[in-house]
Amino acid sequence: MTGSAMGGRKPSLPQRLWRQRTMQLFALAGVAFLLIFSYAPMTGLLMAFKDFRFEKGFSGIFTADWVGLKWIREFVMDYNFSQLLRNTIVISVLKMICTFPVPILLAIAINEVKVSPVKRVVQTVSYLPYFISWVVVSGLCIQFLSSTGVVNTAMIKLGWIAKPLNLLSGKQYFWGLAVFTGIWKEMGWWSIIFLAAITSVDQAMYEAATIDGAGRLGRIRYITFPSIAPTVTVVLILALGNLLGGGLGGSTFEQSFLLGNTANRETSEIIQTYSFRMGMSKGRYSYATSIGMLQSIISVLLVFSSNAVAKRVSGRGLF
Amino acid sequence: MLARRNRIRYTREDWLVDIVVYIIVGVVFFITSYPFYYSLVISLNNAQDTARGGIYFWPRMWTFASYSSFFGDATWLFGLLVSVARTIVGTVITVMFTMMVSYGLSDRKLIFRKGYMGLIIFSMYFSGGLIPYYMLLRSIHLLDSFLVYVIPSALSAFFIFIALSFYDGIPGELRESGMLDGASDLVIFIRIILPISLPLVATIAIFSGVGQWNAWFDSAFFVKNKGLRTLGYLLMETINQANVPTNAQAALQSMAGSKVSPFSIRVTAMMISVIPILCIYPFLQRYFITGLTIGSVKG
Repeated sequence: MTGSAMGGRKPSLPQRLWRQRTMQLFALAGVAFLLIFSYAPMTGLLMAFKDFRFEKGFSGIFTADWVGLKWIREFVMDYNFSQLLRNTIVISVLKMICTFPVPILLAIAINEVKVSPVKRVVQTVSYLPYFISWVVVSGLCIQFLSSTGVVNTAMIKLGWIAKPLNLLSGKQYFWGLAVFTGIWKEMGWWSIIFLAAITSVDQAMYEAATIDGAGRLGRIRYITFPSIAPTVTVVLILALGNLLGGGLGGSTFEQSFLLGNTANRETSEIIQTYSFRMGMSKGRYSYATSIGMLQSIISVLLVFSSNAVAKRVSGRGLF
Repeated sequence: MLARRNRIRYTREDWLVDIVVYIIVGVVFFITSYPFYYSLVISLNNAQDTARGGIYFWPRMWTFASYSSFFGDATWLFGLLVSVARTIVGTVITVMFTMMVSYGLSDRKLIFRKGYMGLIIFSMYFSGGLIPYYMLLRSIHLLDSFLVYVIPSALSAFFIFIALSFYDGIPGELRESGMLDGASDLVIFIRIILPISLPLVATIAIFSGVGQWNAWFDSAFFVKNKGLRTLGYLLMETINQANVPTNAQAALQSMAGSKVSPFSIRVTAMMISVIPILCIYPFLQRYFITGLTIGSVKG
C-alpha cells in the first residue's frame, strides 16, 4: 500500500495538490470563469470615480482621469433624484408587503382542497407564469389591460366605468400594475415551497387536534401556521435581501423596463432603469456605473444585514 | 350506527372554509390560465373578426393564417431558430460545465476549497454592473456573436449550489470503491458519477433551458447583427411598438381585409414562445421543486 510506503509522513502541499489534480482542475475552471465574468467587471467599478471614454476600451478604465465623487454628486443633485429614490423605495416596499403573504395563503388554500386532482391541477397551473418571460407578461398586459383590452371591455359592459382606464400608461396605475403582475407571476412558484413545508407536517398532529375539538380554522391556526413558521422566516430573509431586486414579486427592473413608458415614467422609472438608460442609450458610462454601484452596495448591505438578523432570530443564516 | 356517529361531522365551519378555499383556488386557476387560453383563442381566430370584439372563450372564425404567416416570415422564423439553437447549445454547455466544476468543489478535502467557495458566494451578491460587463464582453470579442448567448451563462452560483447538494447526497463509498479499483478521478466522474446524475442534469437543464428560451436582454444590448436576434427580443420589440396606442389604430386600419394583423401575429409569437414551456414543465415538476428548495436554503 502506498500509505505504509510513505511511513506515515504527511505529504507535502505540492504532493497533495498533485494527487487531487483532476478535482483541482475542475474547480479551477470554474474559478477562472468567475474571475473573467464576475471579477474582471468589478475592476470596471473604477469607472465610477473616473472620466471614462468609450473609445479607449476596457484598458481605458485604468488610464482615465480620476474625478472622485463627481458622478455620485451629480446623481444626487439630479432633478430626478428624489423621484427615482421614491419610486425605487415605494415599488420595492409595496411589492414586499403585498407579494409576501400571497404564496403562503395560496399554499394553505391548496392544502385545504381535499380533491386531489383539483389540488394538482391548480398547483401546476398556478406556477406556469413563473416560467414565462416578462416580455410575454407585458404582451399579455397589453392584451388585457389596454383601452380596448379584455378588462376595460368587461368593466364597461358591466357598467362599472364609463370610458376605458389607461391602465398601462396612466402614471397613477403603475405601482398597482407592478404589484399585481408580480403577484400573478410568482405566487404559484413560491407557494411550492410553503406547500412542501405544510405537507411535511405530521398528520397525527391534525388528528390529535381534531379529537381535541379543533375545527378546520383552529387546525390551520394552531398547527399549519406554527409548522411553516421557520420556512416563512427563511423565505422572508431571502426576500428582504433581494428587496431592491423585487423580493418575491419578480424582477422589478424588467417590470419597469418593459411596462414603463414615456407616459408613466414619473412613477415607473427606478434607479436601475435610469442607470441603464444613461449608460446604454445616452452613452454616459461613468455616470451610469456610479449609479449602478450605489445600488449594488445598498443591495449587499441588505443581504448581509438580513442574514445577520436571521442568525440572531433563528440561529442559522444562509451563509 | 356506531361507525356513523364516530365519523367527524361536516360542520358549518367546514362548509365555510371549503367555500373560501374553493373561491381562492378558483380565482387563482382562472387568472393564471385564462390569459394563456385567451391568447390561444385569439391566435386561432381571423384577425379582422377579432377586431370586432366579443371573442372570449372560443374562436369564431377559425384560421391558422397567423401561424402560417409567422412561419412564413423570415425574421420571426430566424428568431425562432436562434432561440432554439441557443437553448440547446447553451443548456448543454451549462449542464456540462456546472457538473464538472461542482464535482471538483464537492470534494471536502479539496485544498483551497473555502477560498473557492468564498469567491463564488461573493460573486452572487456583488457585481460590477452592466456597463463594466459590457466593456468586458467587448474587449474579449463576445459582442455581436452567438457565443455571447451561451458562454457567459455557462456557470452560475445558483447552479453550483444545486449540484453541490446533489453530490453531497451521493455516498462517499462510491468514489472510494472506484479509487480502490485504481480508477482516476476523471474516470470515476465519467463512469460512476455521471450515469447516476440524471436528476441533477434535469434540474439544471430546466432552469438553464427556460432562461435561454426566454432571454431577450442580451440579444437587445449585446448583439447588433439582425440575424442573431432571438424570439424573445423580437417579441419585446413588437410589444414595445404596440404599447403606443396611436400606432395600434393605424396598424389596424392598414390591415383591413386581411386574415392576420400585427396583433394576431404578436399573439401568435407569444403563443409560440409559451407552448414549448407549457408542454414541458409539468413533466419536470419534481426536478425544479428540488432546485427551488435548495435555492431558498442556500440563497
